[in-house]
Amino acid sequence: MDLTCKDCRFFLPVDVFKGICKISKEKITPDDRFCDKAEKVPKCKFCGKYLAEQDYLGKCIGNTMAFPDMIAAKCADFEWYTQN
Amino acid sequence: MIKYQSTDINYYGHQPGKNIENREQKPRLTPRADAARELYFEAKSSASMEFPYWYTRRWEELEGEIPIIRRAEALKTGFEHLTPVIYPGELLAMGKASYLRGSYPMPWLSEAFFMASEDKLYREAQESGKLTADTFTTMGKGGGNVTKSVGKVISIAGKFGVRVEEMPILLEVAKKWKDKSVDDVGHKYEQKVPDYKEKEALMRSVICMFDSGYTLPQGREVINYYYPLQFGIDGITRNCEEGMAEVAGYPDMDRLYFYQAVIIMLQGLKKWIGNHAEEARFMASLEQEEKQKAEYLELAERLNWLSSNPPRSFHDALQMIWIFHVAVLNEDAISGLSPGRLGQVLYPYWQRDIKKGLITREKTMELLEFMRIKFTELDCFASMGVVGGVLSGNTFNNLCIGGLLKDGTSAANELEMLILEAGITCDTPQPTLSLLYDEKLPEEFLLKGIECTKIGTGYPAWINNRVAMEFLQENYGHEGMNLEEARAWSIGGCLETSPGSWMPLELDGEIHWIPGGSAPATSVGVHFLSLPKLLEVAIFDGMDMRTGQRVFPSHGYRLETYNELWQAFKDYFSRACHVLTLTNNIQHDAWRKISPSLVNSMLKPDCLARGKDIGQMGSRYNSTFNIESCGTANLVNALASLKQNVYTNGIYSLADYRKAILANFGYKTAQETGSYSLVDQVPTEDYHSWKKIHRLSLDAPKFGNDDPFVDEIMKSWETWFCEMTHNYRSLYDQPMYACQISVSTHGPMGAVALAGADGRLSGTTFSDGSVSAYPGTDRNGPYALFNSATCWNHARSQNSQLNMKIHPSVVKGREGSRKFLELIRAYLRKGGFHVQFNIVDSRMLRQAQADPDKYRSLLVRVAGFTQYWVELGKQIQDEVIARTEYEEL
Repeated sequence: MDLTCKDCRFFLPVDVFKGICKISKEKITPDDRFCDKAEKVPKCKFCGKYLAEQDYLGKCIGNTMAFPDMIAAKCADFEWYTQN
Repeated sequence: MIKYQSTDINYYGHQPGKNIENREQKPRLTPRADAARELYFEAKSSASMEFPYWYTRRWEELEGEIPIIRRAEALKTGFEHLTPVIYPGELLAMGKASYLRGSYPMPWLSEAFFMASEDKLYREAQESGKLTADTFTTMGKGGGNVTKSVGKVISIAGKFGVRVEEMPILLEVAKKWKDKSVDDVGHKYEQKVPDYKEKEALMRSVICMFDSGYTLPQGREVINYYYPLQFGIDGITRNCEEGMAEVAGYPDMDRLYFYQAVIIMLQGLKKWIGNHAEEARFMASLEQEEKQKAEYLELAERLNWLSSNPPRSFHDALQMIWIFHVAVLNEDAISGLSPGRLGQVLYPYWQRDIKKGLITREKTMELLEFMRIKFTELDCFASMGVVGGVLSGNTFNNLCIGGLLKDGTSAANELEMLILEAGITCDTPQPTLSLLYDEKLPEEFLLKGIECTKIGTGYPAWINNRVAMEFLQENYGHEGMNLEEARAWSIGGCLETSPGSWMPLELDGEIHWIPGGSAPATSVGVHFLSLPKLLEVAIFDGMDMRTGQRVFPSHGYRLETYNELWQAFKDYFSRACHVLTLTNNIQHDAWRKISPSLVNSMLKPDCLARGKDIGQMGSRYNSTFNIESCGTANLVNALASLKQNVYTNGIYSLADYRKAILANFGYKTAQETGSYSLVDQVPTEDYHSWKKIHRLSLDAPKFGNDDPFVDEIMKSWETWFCEMTHNYRSLYDQPMYACQISVSTHGPMGAVALAGADGRLSGTTFSDGSVSAYPGTDRNGPYALFNSATCWNHARSQNSQLNMKIHPSVVKGREGSRKFLELIRAYLRKGGFHVQFNIVDSRMLRQAQADPDKYRSLLVRVAGFTQYWVELGKQIQDEVIARTEYEEL
């Protein structure tokens, strides 16, 4: 999975085209590549309860619709996906 | 082209000097606000799916639950899951969504307009006429509008950008609301209204602009911040718990569910605020710079406190009102949620803090400037016809200053002087300002208002306090409105007179009576009716000749006399009001059942006391539905032309006029030329065949010149219109009233109208407002315009609207200010309700149209609101340029 700035917890979104890095305070875009200081923000696609079904769509806990790029920092059911 | 060929700008008085005149210089805004505004200028309108996803998910989980509880849980879940965002340097935090200009779709209201055009839902909406206005709306091409899909961003409604990753879930969520949204349920039942097909024809012909029940069900009203300021969230929760204990098990059980729903919703707000406090602490943990770190921590502490308690200071109170303002906006698609008389609401806090040395005037200015930027960041996610054709991207948060206190003395205060000053230094579209003019207001205060208007902000608009109070007592008297309560009024939205109440704010043991809104949306109902198009349809015996479709059955008149024509017009107007009132009542009924207001209801007196939401008439005042018109001057001018040229002088027959209208007087249409004002139109080869009739039409008496021939027609129309609206009953079984503002509807409504007997050409924009003259036709000076505008009693209507454009040189300097104030006074003393100004050299607007990038911050006044020039559609830009520019007063 290619990670970009929009997957980082230090990404401060300004609009759909750009944001600000909370660390460097520089203007960045959501699609810039992860840098060495980047850390993943909780998102459905990083969650162990998320099952991808098609591009940009999937299921949460087996039956509820969900989408991979939604930030799940405030989701009580979020748990980091770990590979067995 | 006849009188319009000699110049491409309409002037009254001498021609301006050779060089383009700038507006008067103004002091700069504070560096902090400057930085925030620069970030705003860079930001694009952006929509996200967090809130609608969680709302819909929770809604589905609670199938079978009591509807208002289900709604409360859905709102709570939406608020709880919004990703908190704090921007560096912010003095006031929180916004609608996790983008600077963030918003989101609300498919529980309507889900069709943002579907792909080939989608079945979209096609069905189009066939029923709901989306016709979208087709004829031009969106602003610059500023923060995302007008085209680019890369990984999809453009919706010509304004909002959505990330491509979120489009599939947007469509999935939208489809879940099919046949369940307010739009769909309302549509299912509105078809039971006899003559429903007539409603569809009215929408397709754009005689009516839009349905309010599912597009903008709330707004055009004044919020009330009293309860959170006085009790805080925990205090309101306790009040609701007490209310529940009193009503549980007794008849009228809806009160129990209402209190429970408010408690649930407040839990969501607490978490939402707390999440932002947590994010502020996180930002502080990353921050190296000590001052900024301290500010983050202070913000975190403030938000944490306010998530439970009432405010302790002016800064707290301002943050609290902002939180609740955004919270209301997040429960519905809303335009025109006005903060009302905010300077009077916050004055007790500010006065106390100043006395105690807790705040300075400089710090106050910084906060007030920042507040302006936060309001300017607000966007409303709606269809192109609504967001572009009606709102021009604006959200109409109207802040009122002046007026009277509860005891009838002047309400102007020092904080309001600073609000005006912040409006000067930080000239942004939001919040727009309205000065409630009363003879008791001090001269210094009025001159400060003039100073602000002069620099070209378009605000404050000047409003007649006494006319509004008379209107309120007349229309809300049967609900208990008296003189004292009428003084608490304010403007809701761009120009809707809205009832208010005095609430007893207790601070340090002292009671301060603060004004706030006490009615739901004061502008829902029949929105808007195109008067020139209705006359056109009457002339063609019920047919819309643009589409070739029949709108009404034949009126049965031969139209051989002016009175027959007038009667045919009135018959069609009445038919439109009848069917649209009924269908609209059904839509609003669907809204109150499926998507009842909770946040706004909780705030509005006396919902908490009565245990009823605003949809159940919990508010103190409920006579709030209206019938809105558009294109008044064009209607009146066209009637005057026909009366003179056909029915009095007999120069032409009505059949001749029909042919001339269909031939567009030998000109290309506005759609063909891409220009929407009369001054820019292009003749065809056939032009000479129609030259004489067009000249006579243009030369016929025009409204705005103190000409009794045409002013009598205006008076007849207004007298009849203001009275006949009372014949229609709202959802709440209250009589409706007239509302006369065009907002931006005169653009798209003009776009679908054929040429008029007044000489206006096909597709060109109508006159704005309701007592503005048609551009270029007011030739006898401002005082003649005032005489025409006040030929009827403005207190009979919720409003009237007068726009004027004045060259900056005319009001220059102190002498210019005095002259300007006297001009305004003259109009208001004659009984005018409202006047607003563009102080600008029209040639600058021409330049800005040609080179928009150089004019990102240029503001203009449209019709009840100020907007960035670059975010206006061309229909409105052309109309503003064409307005008569006064070179002398």
